[in-house]
Amino acid sequence: MIPAELKEEVYNCIKCGLCMSSCPVYKQLNYESVAPRGKVQLIKKILEGKLETTENFHRILFTCLLCETCTVNCPSGLKVDRLMKAMRTELLEKFGLPWQKKALFSVLKNNRLLSVSIFLGQTFGEPLRQLLFKDTKVGTLTLVNLPSLNPKPLRSQYPELVKAKKPVGRVLYFTGCATNYLYENVGHSVIKVLNGLGMDVIIPKDQRCCGLPIFMSGAREMALENMRGNLALFNRKDVEAVIVDCATCGAALKKEYVHIYAEMGVDTEEAQAVSDKVIDISKFVARFDIKDRLQGIRERVTYHDPCHLLRTQGIREEPRAMLTQIPELQFVEMTGADVCCGGGGSFQLEHPEISSAITTKKINSIMASGADIVATGCSGCRLQLSGNLSDKPIKVVHPVELLAMAMRDDESPGISASNQ
Amino acid sequence: MLSREILQELIAIVGEDRCKTSQEDLLTYSYDAYLQEFIPDAVLFPTSTGEVSRIMQVASAKNVFVSPRGSGTGLMAGSLAKEGGIVVCFSMMNRILEINTANRYAVVEPGVVVAELQRAVENLNLFYPPDPGSASVATMAGTVVMNAGGMRGIKYGVTRDYLLGLEIVLPSGEVMNTGTVTCKDVAGYDLTRLICGSEGTLALVTKVIVRLLPKPKAKRTLQAVYDRIDDAGTTVAKIFEAGIIPATLELMDKTIIKAVEEFVHLGLPLDAEAILLIDVDGDPETVERQSSQVAEFCRAHGARDVRLSRSDKENEQLWVARRSAFGAIARVRPTCVIEDATVPVSYMAPAIKKIIEVGKRNGVMTAVLAHAGDGNLHPFFLCDQRDSEEMERVERAMDELVDYALSLGGTISGEHGIGIPKAKYLSRQIGETSLKMMRALKKVFDPHGILNPGSFLERAA
Repeated sequence: MIPAELKEEVYNCIKCGLCMSSCPVYKQLNYESVAPRGKVQLIKKILEGKLETTENFHRILFTCLLCETCTVNCPSGLKVDRLMKAMRTELLEKFGLPWQKKALFSVLKNNRLLSVSIFLGQTFGEPLRQLLFKDTKVGTLTLVNLPSLNPKPLRSQYPELVKAKKPVGRVLYFTGCATNYLYENVGHSVIKVLNGLGMDVIIPKDQRCCGLPIFMSGAREMALENMRGNLALFNRKDVEAVIVDCATCGAALKKEYVHIYAEMGVDTEEAQAVSDKVIDISKFVARFDIKDRLQGIRERVTYHDPCHLLRTQGIREEPRAMLTQIPELQFVEMTGADVCCGGGGSFQLEHPEISSAITTKKINSIMASGADIVATGCSGCRLQLSGNLSDKPIKVVHPVELLAMAMRDDESPGISASNQ
Repeated sequence: MLSREILQELIAIVGEDRCKTSQEDLLTYSYDAYLQEFIPDAVLFPTSTGEVSRIMQVASAKNVFVSPRGSGTGLMAGSLAKEGGIVVCFSMMNRILEINTANRYAVVEPGVVVAELQRAVENLNLFYPPDPGSASVATMAGTVVMNAGGMRGIKYGVTRDYLLGLEIVLPSGEVMNTGTVTCKDVAGYDLTRLICGSEGTLALVTKVIVRLLPKPKAKRTLQAVYDRIDDAGTTVAKIFEAGIIPATLELMDKTIIKAVEEFVHLGLPLDAEAILLIDVDGDPETVERQSSQVAEFCRAHGARDVRLSRSDKENEQLWVARRSAFGAIARVRPTCVIEDATVPVSYMAPAIKKIIEVGKRNGVMTAVLAHAGDGNLHPFFLCDQRDSEEMERVERAMDELVDYALSLGGTISGEHGIGIPKAKYLSRQIGETSLKMMRALKKVFDPHGILNPGSFLERAA
């Protein structure tokens, strides 16, 4: 069901066209049906019964990164992204999910299946990778550039409660799939920093995929189990915050769960309670003055704004502050830091050509900045950037990895920032 | 409807990918920023003059109607397929061909976005002044055929004043060049300026040559806050009379301030009845001197407060706020009919009073925006298109304002064009003889009437 509020909003689109000036997809393709203004027009026609939900419309609706640039730039105040997301759900019954997504989502839905898949990946992935041609691609990503799986999932390397030396508080940590299975050093860094700040860190073992890839495809019912499970685990009164390190998981827990519950007519109390406590690691760290505890890192670093952090959660300064307070670190702002990287979750699988054209612009910006490291707090962006920076001597890291490296008070095994 | 055969001929020119005919694609080319919608039979995206020429050869041979389009940000249905036929959209023909710093001109393809040209030339310390509110989306050729104005009109003029030459494709498919790259040029009729403002009725523009200025070294934005909108209007007239020429002089009333503030959160004064947004630019010393002169002038004419922006970022944010006014007003009511009658600037204060009075009398919610410095009023009539009785009242209010502007020696449209909504007033301003000459010119360029049919010329009474 598209909520009445969003349905009425389509009449507020005055067609000024300003959304087209910043829509990465329109700027690449230059025809209007892929522009936000065009999509709003089509949805209006469908709601008025003047247009069928055709296969072509379905394709158009999914030719969108859901980067939310149109929403934040719409002077008329349309929540364009929420309209698109609700419409995707409307189309699910008619068009279903492509088999790849069905397979992927059933893995993400089920923790046991997920760990079996990961085990298989660990055992056979590397030898398989050796057999493939060098330029074999998954979407826009060259297979050889995909990160290796963590030797052991992050959560299995820690007890459920990781205590600080002199605890002053207690937080929950939502690790997300990427940190758990791909980027373990992000997890080590988060835990080190939090412990260093005097936080006991609780890492609930049974946490699940946040479900965002599932419900962004429209499959809200399918994602319900994940959402319920996570909310039950993370709705705790005895913690001061729920920490996330991934912009996308953060977007899900902070914003999307509440919207989705509300639009599905489910009571939002629990989702809201969790949302109130969810906080990105960069924003949490910004509450503390830790300047004196940092040692220098001599690197030239730039920062890429993840859509799910900047636009969904409104976090712009904190990740930069995390970096600029590190002594000797040279921070350079790239042009267009706030432009989407072109990944868009499964967008890069469905539209590799458009995606890679958008990513190329981002890579050019990164190169032009002269940085040796690009920091970004989103595993999706990280995958997209590192997968496309293949032949360039530029590392992609999470800002918290640099912060953890710089933090003197070492409470966890030091692991240097990984390459991917 | 287009026959399958003609469509095949057109596809043979641009290829399948650049010829859109799906119902969904056509619906997204049925509108601009005006109220009415017209669904075209096909949308073509040429990327070269050669392709445009061949499209027009087919169109004239087969009597196919053609409506040219850029980004579709016009306010008068100028780019819509009002009588059906094909839309030729220039959004994919969008390269900057040359920026000549030695002779200060630029050559661009029609689909280059105005703001992109501005950014590119500013990187070279040059300046392209025409600055319509939609500059971040509008295309160069679109602004040429509409002779777009905008916010810098008071000091820098409008698109026409920067146009040196064009490459155009006639309805027959012939390619023709007008003007040249030099500022002075009196070789024959000024066909460049004939095309400028022709609303896409005479030819398709495939290349634009514009004059550039050196970029002003400094700029500052002032915000003068008024408790009485009358005083704001009087300030504008008096500034003009005093011979002070700011780069921009924009007026926003309280309804617009509120809508814009809801979008940008800049701390605009919500209790004010009006603000004037004023830019001064030039050498740093001039800017320093003029900004205090302007500030003093505003205070002397009733401004309760004059705020100086402290940084380029703040300048920029204030102008983003101003640019978003048209879109932001949709937060108040879903439909906005924007009027652009223009009066001699000395009548600014009474004209504003008149707008408010006309709105009230017809029971139409009204907000006042103006490129005040050049007398270009932009009253917004806020309504809901779905309410036909309300729309009739809006129409009446528009009629009255046009009458008023004409009675003062003003114009029915300062910059948005005639298109559908203003056609009925046209002959009253320009007279029967002018209209006859315009129609004759149209015949010379487009003997079969295939280019942008249903335009202001056919509709003018």
